[in-house]
Amino acid sequence: MKFVLGRLLSIAAALGLCFAIDVFAHSQNDYTQRLVALAGLYVTLSVSLNLINGITGQFSIGHAAFYQVGAYCGGFLSVRFYDGSPVHGLLWLLVMMAAGAAAAAGAGLVVGLPSLRLRGDYLAIVTMGFGEIIRIIVQNVDAFGGPYGMNVQPKFLHIWLIWLLAVSCIAVCRNLVSSAHGLQFLAVREDEIAAGAMGVNVTRVKVTAFMLGSAFAGAAGALLAHFEGFITPATFAMDVSFIILTMVVLGGSGSITGSVISAAFLSYLPEYLRGLKGPEGGTLAVTGASVAAALFATIIAAGIIRRLLDQARGTPRSRALGVAGIVGATLIGKIVIQWGLLFIPYLRELKIEAGQLRMVIFAVTLIIVMLLRPQGMLAHHELSWAFIGKILGIKAPAKAVTPA
Amino acid sequence: MSLLEMRKGTIHFGGLVAVSEATFAIEKGDLFGLIGPNGAGKTTCFNMITGVYRPTSGSVYFKGKQITGTPPNRVAALGIARTFQNIRLFPALSVLENVVVGGFLRHRTGLASALIYLPSAIAETDRLRAEAMDLIRILDLEDVADVRSADLPYGKQRRLEIARAMATQPELLLLDEPAAGMNPQESEDLLRTVRRLRDDFGKTILLIEHDMRFVMNLCEKIFVLDHGEEIAFGPPEKIRNDPGVIQAYLGEAV
Ligand SMILES: Nc1ncnc2c1ncn2[C@@H]1O[C@H](COP(=O)(O)OP(=O)(O)OP(=O)(O)O)[C@@H](O)[C@H]1O
Ligand SMILES: [Mg+2]
Repeated sequence: MKFVLGRLLSIAAALGLCFAIDVFAHSQNDYTQRLVALAGLYVTLSVSLNLINGITGQFSIGHAAFYQVGAYCGGFLSVRFYDGSPVHGLLWLLVMMAAGAAAAAGAGLVVGLPSLRLRGDYLAIVTMGFGEIIRIIVQNVDAFGGPYGMNVQPKFLHIWLIWLLAVSCIAVCRNLVSSAHGLQFLAVREDEIAAGAMGVNVTRVKVTAFMLGSAFAGAAGALLAHFEGFITPATFAMDVSFIILTMVVLGGSGSITGSVISAAFLSYLPEYLRGLKGPEGGTLAVTGASVAAALFATIIAAGIIRRLLDQARGTPRSRALGVAGIVGATLIGKIVIQWGLLFIPYLRELKIEAGQLRMVIFAVTLIIVMLLRPQGMLAHHELSWAFIGKILGIKAPAKAVTPA
Repeated sequence: MSLLEMRKGTIHFGGLVAVSEATFAIEKGDLFGLIGPNGAGKTTCFNMITGVYRPTSGSVYFKGKQITGTPPNRVAALGIARTFQNIRLFPALSVLENVVVGGFLRHRTGLASALIYLPSAIAETDRLRAEAMDLIRILDLEDVADVRSADLPYGKQRRLEIARAMATQPELLLLDEPAAGMNPQESEDLLRTVRRLRDDFGKTILLIEHDMRFVMNLCEKIFVLDHGEEIAFGPPEKIRNDPGVIQAYLGEAV
């Protein structure tokens, strides 16, 4: 009884949150709406890739391929069968999500089974190749619209559903790692040989993680297709996979919270850069300053969290001062760089749009994180009440805390 | 019928014959020692039994059934658990979680119920945790139950390996140099614990160990390998005075 009540409350809270996001987004212009929707999709994508890469310790670098499988599966079915189907509206969209998820999970099985049975990073190569193969196939099949893309009818603007998928993905991963089942996945990540010796069916765990992660990406793809109403192969190019991977690494492989935060942050960042118009109207100086600011923000986030975590010593006040100090230093750094760049006449003239530099920013971010904090912002930690307590220096009640 | 039987177990690595026609039988309740100089092929025997390597020729029987080449996870499910010479814990997991992984073989709820966190999955997780806690107490690790296993001192890591293997509830426990790196006091405690695993918990134990005092005090039967070949077999008194064994160890300057 207590369980049912608690569960109903959680579901109500999740739904409430999703509808709040929806109401907010729909009160904004189209551009912001799209941003909020994409952020939700990216949260799903990065959390589901984190299940494969962070929690189970595999290395998939072609997550966009499964996103694409889901999108084209859902899109194609809608174009073909929506008219004359007995199911309409939201229900149809849910069916398309399920279809996209199933198709992507099937693709995950086909790709994963041969490569996951082997040790080593075969998966990385195979997933990358698979992404390109899918893209090229879609580009050459007329039924999918070829390189020009496909119009998907009907369109649905259910931002709440996009976020509900994200929340469900987070919940599923969270449930997994807090159960004995999830420990198997973590054990495979930590040491495959030892896991096998303890009776863990290593191949099965890896394939399960891979299919589950792919299924969520597929469901996200189906939602994207119906939200945008138009998809092209270019929507799912390699760099999308790369962006998702950056989100997972930046957040800290294995940390669900980390994936969520960095997905929201990194899906907003390029849009922010794209739209940036400083007094000089998109010159290198302005761009450089934004890039610098973004990098600083990354380093600082990493630094702050490292301080909080690794330095268990120190009073809460000294820690707060440390954080404030770093934030101050960043702002000063940003101003210095901005003015420094503006000072050089040649650079002031050179026009480069910030948006053009987004991939550079992702690459540099990834390199910096790898160098300074290879375990990512949150490492393996999760944001929980106990964790917040630890940061603030409050002792958690004596109960076994399970860090993921 | 012997609990475990190795019949002419042979394994080649390229040109090297790591183990050659090893033949021995372990009875239920044995404290069985496997010794020999460095590189004699002891760990390789463990790897043949547990399915990490498939023997080039020869076969392994467990409770009368052939298990040659069965994959490691199935061997564990049949009732053979092991520890590793070069400790292989799950470093980022806590002591308790390490042991729960060992107990997972006996869980009874499906993955789906874990993904939606049904009460049955929660109860099952709690049950495995409670069982793991019992083992942690037996191996005297309760003060570090929530510590990351990578942060444990060496001696405790070795004991955790045993707790984790015990969690699979094996009939046969293979210990690869469990006392390596322990100080005399720790090694003395370990000796008592291992004996207790046999006497109180009915485990059969096959153990590799370089510490002669440890082996001679603990084991009732000892099998000696050198360069992959059997050079002696018998009770400790016999092995202690066996000229071949002395020769093999002297050659190694131990
Ligand atoms: N995977 C492998 N590939 C090639 N050679 C191997 C492999 N595993 C073991 N060997 C070789 O087989 C021989 C026996 O090794 P093994 O590890 O079984 O020795 P051991 O008796 O356990 O020695 P130690 O006391 O040093 O642990 C050694 O010469 C070793 O180099
Ligand atoms: Mg060895």
